Amino acid sequence: QGREGGRLSSSGELFVLTYGALVAQLCKDYEKDEDVNTCLDRMGYGIGVRLIDDFLARSAVKKCRSYSETADMIAQVAFKMYLGVTPTVSCSSAAGNEFSLILDKNPLVDFVEELPAERASLCYCNLLCGVIRGALEMVHLPAEVTFLQDRLKGDAVTEIGITFLRKAEDRNGLVTTT
Amino acid sequence: TVHTSLDVVDEKISAMGKALVDQRELYLGLLYPTEDYKVYGYVTNSKVKFVMVVDSSNTALRDNEIRSMFRKLHNSYTDIMCNPFYNPGDRIHSRAFDNMVNSMMMQVC
Repeated sequence: QGREGGRLSSSGELFVLTYGALVAQLCKDYEKDEDVNTCLDRMGYGIGVRLIDDFLARSAVKKCRSYSETADMIAQVAFKMYLGVTPTVSCSSAAGNEFSLILDKNPLVDFVEELPAERASLCYCNLLCGVIRGALEMVHLPAEVTFLQDRLKGDAVTEIGITFLRKAEDRNGLVTTT
Repeated sequence: TVHTSLDVVDEKISAMGKALVDQRELYLGLLYPTEDYKVYGYVTNSKVKFVMVVDSSNTALRDNEIRSMFRKLHNSYTDIMCNPFYNPGDRIHSRAFDNMVNSMMMQVC
């Protein structure tokens, strides 16, 4: 009643509210924003290392042959599957191992207007970074994943940065994925 | 004025008894008129009370408009409740809520 179309289903709302309760509780448990961020990232990592199997089973994708394909896969298949949104991907380094995902819509922050004043450095969705990092690690693609920009902090867009770390064997610069 | 009207709200709620509550019954209507103001009431089925005080000189305001204003307030209120950083009972500090209220006020003034 009174809600626009395009809103989440009831189970989607429950998920968003649960995530919010999780962040709120962590804020009560930890004084420093950095500690909450670390905790969210760690939790996300735990989810990611398990979620990857679910993802691979459900999406039946073929192996990605490049970092770029991997980034596209994350944005267009994984995000779509689990959050119902498709961030735009762009490569942000000449070396071809840094990518940025720009989230136009982010259902996790549907009900959060802005961060509380005392939580200005909180990365509210840091769980997502951990999930991506954990999932990539399980397919032997270690990476650093962080929020580069965050609308909740007043930035123009919300942007996740993925930096694929070259494996020690890649001395000749070739990109190999297993 | 507002405190007295809250008593009237409580009276009306207890008078409703155990009737099934639907949208029309959430709206309590004109609570009581004074010389300067008219006070309208609305209560949610979670017993949250909204009280609207309108200047008596504003005779153009129709019942329908008041009902829809209460409905918008109710919807915005539930959105605020979903904010994980909002503690029920706190003062509301939401820009979206303020914007909604301001635009409503401008429509009727």
